[in-house]
Amino acid sequence: MAGGAREVLTLQLGHFAGFVGAHWWNQQDAALGRATDSKEPPGELCPDVLYRTGRTLHGQETYTPRLILMDLKGSLSSLKEEGGLYRDKQLDAAIAWQGKLTTHKEELYPKNPYLQDFLSAEGVLSSDGVWRVKSIPNGKGSSPLPTATTPKPLIPTEASIRVWSDFLRVHLHPRSICMIQKYNHDGEAGRLEAFGQGESVLKEPKYQEELEDRLHFYVEECDYLQGFQILCDLHDGFSGEAQRNIYRLLNTAFGLVHLTAHSSLVCPLSLGGSLGLRPEPPVSFPYLHYDATLPFHCSAILATALDTVTVPYRLCSSPVSMVHLADMLSFCGKKVVTAGAIIPFPLAPGQSLPDSLMQFGGATPWTPLSACGEPSGTRCFAQSVVLRGIDRACHTSQLTPGTPPPSALHACTTGEEILAQYLQQQQPGVMSSSHLLLTPCRVAPPYPHLFSSCSPPGMVLDGSPKGAAVESIPVFGALCSSSSLHQTLEALARDLTKLDLRRWASFMDAGVEHDDVAELLQELQSLAQCYQGGDSLVD
Amino acid sequence: MAAVKTLNPKAEVARAQAALAVNISAARGLQDVLRTNLGPKGTMKMLVSGAGDIKLTKDGNVLLHEMGLHPRIITEGFEAAKEKALQFLEEVKVSREMDRETLIDVARTSLRTKVHAELADVLTEAVVDSILAIKKQDEPIDLFMIEIMEMKHKSETDTSLIRGLVLDHGARHPDMKKRVEDAYILTCNVSLEYEKTLTLACGGVALNSFDDLSPDCLGHAGLVYEYTLGEEKFTFIEKCNNPRSVTLLIKGPNKHTLTQIKDAVRDGLRAVKNAIDDGCVVPGAGAVEVAMAEALIKHKPSVKGRAQLGVQAFADALLIIPKVLAQNSGFDLQETLVKIQAEHSESGQLVGVDLNTGEPMVAAEVGVWDNYCVKKQLLHSCTVIATNILLVDEIMRAGMSSLKG
Repeated sequence: MAGGAREVLTLQLGHFAGFVGAHWWNQQDAALGRATDSKEPPGELCPDVLYRTGRTLHGQETYTPRLILMDLKGSLSSLKEEGGLYRDKQLDAAIAWQGKLTTHKEELYPKNPYLQDFLSAEGVLSSDGVWRVKSIPNGKGSSPLPTATTPKPLIPTEASIRVWSDFLRVHLHPRSICMIQKYNHDGEAGRLEAFGQGESVLKEPKYQEELEDRLHFYVEECDYLQGFQILCDLHDGFSGEAQRNIYRLLNTAFGLVHLTAHSSLVCPLSLGGSLGLRPEPPVSFPYLHYDATLPFHCSAILATALDTVTVPYRLCSSPVSMVHLADMLSFCGKKVVTAGAIIPFPLAPGQSLPDSLMQFGGATPWTPLSACGEPSGTRCFAQSVVLRGIDRACHTSQLTPGTPPPSALHACTTGEEILAQYLQQQQPGVMSSSHLLLTPCRVAPPYPHLFSSCSPPGMVLDGSPKGAAVESIPVFGALCSSSSLHQTLEALARDLTKLDLRRWASFMDAGVEHDDVAELLQELQSLAQCYQGGDSLVD
Repeated sequence: MAAVKTLNPKAEVARAQAALAVNISAARGLQDVLRTNLGPKGTMKMLVSGAGDIKLTKDGNVLLHEMGLHPRIITEGFEAAKEKALQFLEEVKVSREMDRETLIDVARTSLRTKVHAELADVLTEAVVDSILAIKKQDEPIDLFMIEIMEMKHKSETDTSLIRGLVLDHGARHPDMKKRVEDAYILTCNVSLEYEKTLTLACGGVALNSFDDLSPDCLGHAGLVYEYTLGEEKFTFIEKCNNPRSVTLLIKGPNKHTLTQIKDAVRDGLRAVKNAIDDGCVVPGAGAVEVAMAEALIKHKPSVKGRAQLGVQAFADALLIIPKVLAQNSGFDLQETLVKIQAEHSESGQLVGVDLNTGEPMVAAEVGVWDNYCVKKQLLHSCTVIATNILLVDEIMRAGMSSLKG
């Protein structure tokens, strides 16, 4: 890979992580497909960071996500574990046995009709039984776009989506999917519910070996691996009964502490109101409408936020490496950061960026996405902000010469300056890094319809004719090392101390001991201390 | 299928299956007595004690108690049977020098169950030779010194033993040569993935620094080359003089075949290692089980009282092995068993089932061998599990009566 893209290996652990990942890869793929469209700005983001080129045994070139995902038995539905790209029907049928053979078939998963067009449009099973993919867009922009005769993709009905593979429109490499056979995704028995269970699965030599083999495969072919981005389920989704809430609390606490110990940076991502025992109502966005009970919706929003905040280490020119980003945000042991986003970023017709930013006033403009409470009133230690999808013409105000600028923002000459100035005004003295991109976030189907009903009156999000489905949106995203974590982590610790762990023996049975809980409490409390407003070195 | 799995040195599966068989046998004996009680047309039982006292009943509970059948007594019978069986195993085990020929027989017996015969024979040689290559005098065999590498390839009979290493990556720099003959190998002590196996395969010493570099520190390989297959690159380090670490290169057309072969190879390696560690083997094909069952029946009278039922059940259970072997091969199980038992009585030799003909065969003569340690382990675990199952019933009943009170 001459050219020196700084590769990133993505890991997705868990089913909700799979949902977020499916939206994420769909978005990346949509961006690849548009790469040669003349309307698009020249490549600002480098797809080789996330994707790898490869070759099947038949000499077919492939371009697939550099991804390892782990999920439970039953979560794939009709998607094959080795995917569809590297298949050879003849070779696949061979077996090393000539004696008697009985076949025990599970009931076939019905093929998702929504994916039929995807599989047929992108590939063809030739007469020799080899799967040949028709056109593979790659970052080098040399392949043709799908022609006008290619049928528009069907939009999945939300009721038909049970698992993330139901709406994933990207071919994965055979080494991407690692299924854990020991636990079931669905059903009444054998579920993966407690932190200890997950921990012990990964300690089993069989899964360790599997994971290591795949890691070796992807990592060894990298030239400048910059790091791993890991999407990990902290807890098993949506609570209801008391036991689920307790498990959620325990899993969140253990997960958070352990992840922090082993990562450079950790960011909880959730549309819930709180990480603690008592669930708060989910967050709401001023310009989009979503159903908080649908993982299909929640994961889409989080994927868009991720697509924005991860921009710094995916830039084509002057990228900020993962290491630098993490260092900037996590000094003094503050490894946990919060995320926030404005989805979509509201820019009314005729408005410029300074106008829009001024309208937010002094309040923190973004919706919190880490279930750590409202950002207003809290103190920020460091932040990384990305704004993407604003037309260059709107970056600066188009004041007639001679008009006095209504604010300092209006006096700036570039979008980058305006953004930096705005952040400086919001949080004076705070270490802020900001990036301004022309490329918007993709929200074409299978992304859910979240926008049209709610956009500010008259606002056209992406230049499409009014009334048409929105295909892309501007987004403002932020990663913030914030003092709100002090309260959140302390509250988590408090909730834990109130628990009578003898009642939750089933959680403990899975491999966690009482001493572990005491240690956990200590770690939570010392982590919380790092975020106390008074002791920062920023001033 | 289930019973065939008991031949597999995967002891875990065998334990459960064999225990179930034992339990069913014991239960079946009782069932035969109790079955006839059922219904108005069922048979009344008249129990006459030693002193001539008479009791008439159809009550199953009463019958069991009157007949003195207590689960604990049956399990005592199991214990006695187990001890006798273990003794018998000691007597029939064949201690000999584990030469290549014997090890080939052991490996083949294991591998032929897992993959088709032609492939099994190819793997057999590779498995045995790999162990002989890494075996150090008077030291236990470390199976980690045999690397197993997978390669997608059209024909799986190309699986082979490489006297050296195969690494699952290619050159790290575009200027590196693709092929080198008569190569010197420098291993650096920087926690490389293949550090240990590289020095074992090629010789030389893993170095911390280049300060005292001398020719003695270097290893050697006759041939080093890079091989590309699709998008995967491999590095072959072959023709090493005296490799203490080797690679089994498994080739297969698809993932499930590769896994099937890899599992078979691992089982085969284990079987060979067991044979070497034990210093002995036992005849397979159900021969040991047939002879052991006969010995237990002979031994029965020396067991006191009702416990004899446990011994009988144990012996019956053992016979499931030869029976199902025959059945799976398409022969009549009762007929075949009778033939084998007769042959064993007559000749005194350990006689098992010839799966091609359904006729008795002397397993040792044909080279069908099982591991001694596996048979021993099976006897222990099956007895424990069967005992636990029987005694759990007892505890549950005790619990229930206390609730009633």
